[in-house]
Amino acid sequence: MISRSLVLFTISLVLASGLVKAEKHESSNNVVDKIYHPYVLPLEQEFEWRLMSRQNDEGNSLVQRVAFGHSINDRLTLEAYLVGDRDEGDDFGLVAYELEARWMITDQGKYYADWGALFELEKEHQEDQWEFTTGILVEKEFGRASITSNYLLVYEFGSTIENSFHSEFRLQYRYRFIPEIQPAIELYTAEDFVGLGPSFMGIHRFEGQKQVKWELGFIAGLNGDSKDHTLRVAIEYEF
Amino acid sequence: MYKSLLSFSLLMLMHSASALAMPEVIITIRDHLFYPSEVMVPAGKKVKLIFVNQDNTPEELDSFELNREKVIFGNAKANVFIGPLDEGEYHFFGEYHPSSAVGKVIVVSPEVFNDVN
Repeated sequence: MISRSLVLFTISLVLASGLVKAEKHESSNNVVDKIYHPYVLPLEQEFEWRLMSRQNDEGNSLVQRVAFGHSINDRLTLEAYLVGDRDEGDDFGLVAYELEARWMITDQGKYYADWGALFELEKEHQEDQWEFTTGILVEKEFGRASITSNYLLVYEFGSTIENSFHSEFRLQYRYRFIPEIQPAIELYTAEDFVGLGPSFMGIHRFEGQKQVKWELGFIAGLNGDSKDHTLRVAIEYEF
Repeated sequence: MYKSLLSFSLLMLMHSASALAMPEVIITIRDHLFYPSEVMVPAGKKVKLIFVNQDNTPEELDSFELNREKVIFGNAKANVFIGPLDEGEYHFFGEYHPSSAVGKVIVVSPEVFNDVN
């Protein structure tokens, strides 16, 4: 029964991923990022830090995000980010601000798959350059494993950038081995990027709602470049 | 593009029908304890656990084995959907009172479940 569901769900994802390939969009240097789960818990707030370090033929790019998130109710959570990266002169500084809303559409486990939605608005620091992202988050559980997919549509606009759309698809297969160690495989696609690689995540609980979640992934670009890999790290403290 | 989206949506809707006719179990939270603390459910089926919190303070259900976290506000109820599960025992606890608010879901074969009920 589980294997039949897994096959059906995988077919669905492959069909849906065609949506992403059909879109025309420009290069995205930060396709590898977080894979969002479609769940929200009320009474929860968190601090988050993320790092994405990509090494390819063009050199190394480093992006870091720090954020504070707070759930509004049992369906909606908001998170505000400060985004920093390293420029051509090797100086690291603030480059953007971002506000993110995540909406849990269905109760976990009620239907065949769990559904959520993501809305993000990012503004470049001291520039009239904006990015609006929206997407669908889907997660399906198969015993101790789960598949999570994100279908994202991104619109970039502003006076210092050519207005354009692009889309991204992210997929994660995760096995809940023990709370502290949950191995996964992640896939990231955009028009000119396909990345695949292992990741590990875990959770350590303290008292009450206090807990630390961590994620570590190493994604190899499969674009034909001689070198293209991304290290991603995320740490969340929920309280 | 639209065919892909349509196929995906239809597949999701087809399987959403499985949420109908779901067995239900009521668990009461009182004085930071679960009543009953052990519940039996059939294997291979989705089950709706209805938590009724009679305390004035919230409780957060947590279970790594069931892959569920859910806040149940004080003097309120909340639904937790689990399964389909294999036979076995799945523990859960209340995050705010982890030493007292503990319980487990015992999953048995449909035959055993029907015999007991």
